[in-house]
Amino acid sequence: MLKGIKYALLIPLAMLSFACSQKSTFVLLPDLDGAVGEITVTTEKGSTTISEPMRSTTVTGPNSAPSDQVALKEEEIQATFGEAMAAQPEPGVVFILYFKPGSKELVDSSAALINDIIRIIADRKSVDTSVVGHADTAGNEEYNKRLSTKRAEAVAGILSSKGVDTDILKITSHGENDPLIQTGDNVSNRKNRRVEVTVR
Amino acid sequence: MRYVPLFLITLTLTFVADISTAGESVIGSVKTVKGDASIVRDGKTIPANAGEKIYAHDKFLTGNASSLGVTFRDNTLVSLGSGSEFVVNEFLFNPAESEFSFISKMFKGTISYISGKIGKLSPESVKFQTPVATIGIRGTRFLAKVEG
Repeated sequence: MLKGIKYALLIPLAMLSFACSQKSTFVLLPDLDGAVGEITVTTEKGSTTISEPMRSTTVTGPNSAPSDQVALKEEEIQATFGEAMAAQPEPGVVFILYFKPGSKELVDSSAALINDIIRIIADRKSVDTSVVGHADTAGNEEYNKRLSTKRAEAVAGILSSKGVDTDILKITSHGENDPLIQTGDNVSNRKNRRVEVTVR
Repeated sequence: MRYVPLFLITLTLTFVADISTAGESVIGSVKTVKGDASIVRDGKTIPANAGEKIYAHDKFLTGNASSLGVTFRDNTLVSLGSGSEFVVNEFLFNPAESEFSFISKMFKGTISYISGKIGKLSPESVKFQTPVATIGIRGTRFLAKVEG
């Protein structure tokens, strides 16, 4: 038994030492919308923050600090990462559906979007579509939590009645806590009474 | 005295086993596949077909001249080139309760990583590891290569 425990401890140690040679390179790219974020690469010996696109750093081992940053050319990035980049899935498609005040009934312009949602689910062969309910701040928090849940369930019900498999739907609700438009409490707001459907 | 630690180990193991099976939820799905790609889940290797739902602790493998692209429930987009090995160690996306975590590790190969809502709402909850470094993010989109 004790021997077994010893060996069990040795396995992760062996994996650690095997991992020591695995040189890693990191490159920052602009986001899909063109904005540029940041990555911070950290080892036990140091760290570097890249905030300009197309710049890279390399770490040769766990006992090395990240290298000085190097600007890469488009061709160099393509040569190494083209295959991974070509496999990038399309971003999810987001639909925002609006509701009548205090109601789980869709406004007409939003009801008209249901068929588009169904078409995109089919086009993408989605098995993971989020249906997230929201409410405005009119009424108390508990009421809005229930209302946002009812709205999400209503949308899921409509999709299901038109043949969408409910297994692909992930239904959640945020009550009044995640408004599209910031308002004070007890404010009726057309844009905050909504369900967001993301088809992935 | 010797029995006490053994008893505790047994208890701990039972507890861990319970966590790993309880409430496993879908965290995303496979969207693009080329060539030979697979998922290791609970010790079993299954083909990574488009439309396959994915779960925390899944490990993704690609062979020669192969690639794989997955979307996560927070809209993160991850794609792997040939000869890659990537695992999602922890994924928690529960904005209603402000609970977020996305911890992943790349063992070898190439990856394109476009962070989603967890990266926006709680960047400190996103950790990307390789055997030699850890990446923190703000935003964002990055590429990584780990030599095997």
